[in-house]
Amino acid sequence: MGAAVAAAAEGPPGVLPAPVAGLGVGWRPEIAGVVARLPDLGFCEVIAESLDLRHPDRPPAGPSRGVTDLRGRGIPVVPHGVRLGLGDAEGVDPGRVAHLAACARALDAPLVSEHVAFVRAAGREAGHLLPVPRTREALDVLVEGVRRTQAELEVPLALEPIAALFDWPDDEYAEGDFLTELLDRTGALLLLDVANVHANARNRGQDPSAVLDRMPLGRVAYVHVAGGAVHDGLYHDTHLDPVPSAVLMLLEEVRERGAAPAVMLERDGRYPPAAELRGELAAIVASARLGPIPSAPSETVPSASPEPVP
Amino acid sequence: MSAGGAGPLSAGGAGPTGAGDLAARQAALVAALVDGAPDPPGFAADRLAATREALLRKRSGQAAAAWPLLAAGLGADWSAFACAVLAGRPVSGAFRDGWDVALAARSADRLTEGAGRELAARERTHRYDGVRPPRRRLITQVAGLFRR
Repeated sequence: MGAAVAAAAEGPPGVLPAPVAGLGVGWRPEIAGVVARLPDLGFCEVIAESLDLRHPDRPPAGPSRGVTDLRGRGIPVVPHGVRLGLGDAEGVDPGRVAHLAACARALDAPLVSEHVAFVRAAGREAGHLLPVPRTREALDVLVEGVRRTQAELEVPLALEPIAALFDWPDDEYAEGDFLTELLDRTGALLLLDVANVHANARNRGQDPSAVLDRMPLGRVAYVHVAGGAVHDGLYHDTHLDPVPSAVLMLLEEVRERGAAPAVMLERDGRYPPAAELRGELAAIVASARLGPIPSAPSETVPSASPEPVP
Repeated sequence: MSAGGAGPLSAGGAGPTGAGDLAARQAALVAALVDGAPDPPGFAADRLAATREALLRKRSGQAAAAWPLLAAGLGADWSAFACAVLAGRPVSGAFRDGWDVALAARSADRLTEGAGRELAARERTHRYDGVRPPRRRLITQVAGLFRR
């Protein structure tokens, strides 16, 4: 396990060094042109499973040209895994863990992120991030999956709670308590998706502020914002629709609580015109009151120890 | 535990149902959501149905991105047509999902000229029998070696 992870596990909440800062975007090939021209980009995220590191010499290959260009400008790029399955009862696949670690090395990433979810069972893919029951048994499975992943990583791991349209019938923990225990036991950081918080609170009939009260906000590494839409009375976190004002208001609240050091937009399709996309990013900057982006370091950040080791 | 209020909501150890069999319960849930198996007990049926539909919409969107001419040919009918084809089929990626939709469109005489060209181009480079995943034809693999 990297020194940064161990330090994060022992440090008091609220004083963690922010591994990324400012405004970010989930890099996708379809919006590469817009992203490349953003003047105040603090960081990007790239889907880890979209990077094919086996054949870096032919497309689709390696980090895409747009991603390597961003790295060339000194902009941090965070590999974001979507199919590792940290909550899979059958355990994480070592090959997938190795790929995530290879992505972090290839991008010289300051951290890596994945989800609090399961994605396959008995050899069947769900094709989706599915919730685990908030039970001791599932917590043990997650802790084991996170530890196995951290063991291969040289940088911190941030965990994102998902948006789910259903809950298991035998939940033993409130979501915030479940996350707190998971982070306490693993030293992982929190990737807080305010759209997921909004979606879950709305669909469960909860007050999102009360949900945030129980979240381990002192461990937020960065924040996701995304759009969604209501179908048949349920809010769906689609990443295909505009960001609703309720999500931006929740972002403001998270910022007021000091838990929005870095914030990024996730958009996965039905891409709007460039001006509209820039407008959404400007709204995020305003809601999170993101300051000017610290100038990117020109030298290469050593990947093994992003902070001093005593 | 350092955080105030952390801990199980319910007193006592294991959950009320099936502690220790999480793997089987996850498998039953995936089967219900993807393969059309019955819902596991205790879950809200309407929420599982909504999840099933969301999953199909997501798969159909990804298949449309992988098969743009096929999707354009079906136009506004794409989502309903693709979701109907993909319901109950195992999740095996947008390339294969789109291929299944293309074959269904051909059977239904809904393949436009562009979609037909797209399918023909894929059939030249890949072999797909509808049972095993599409595989690159030998000639494509050899050509790929020369391109490296």
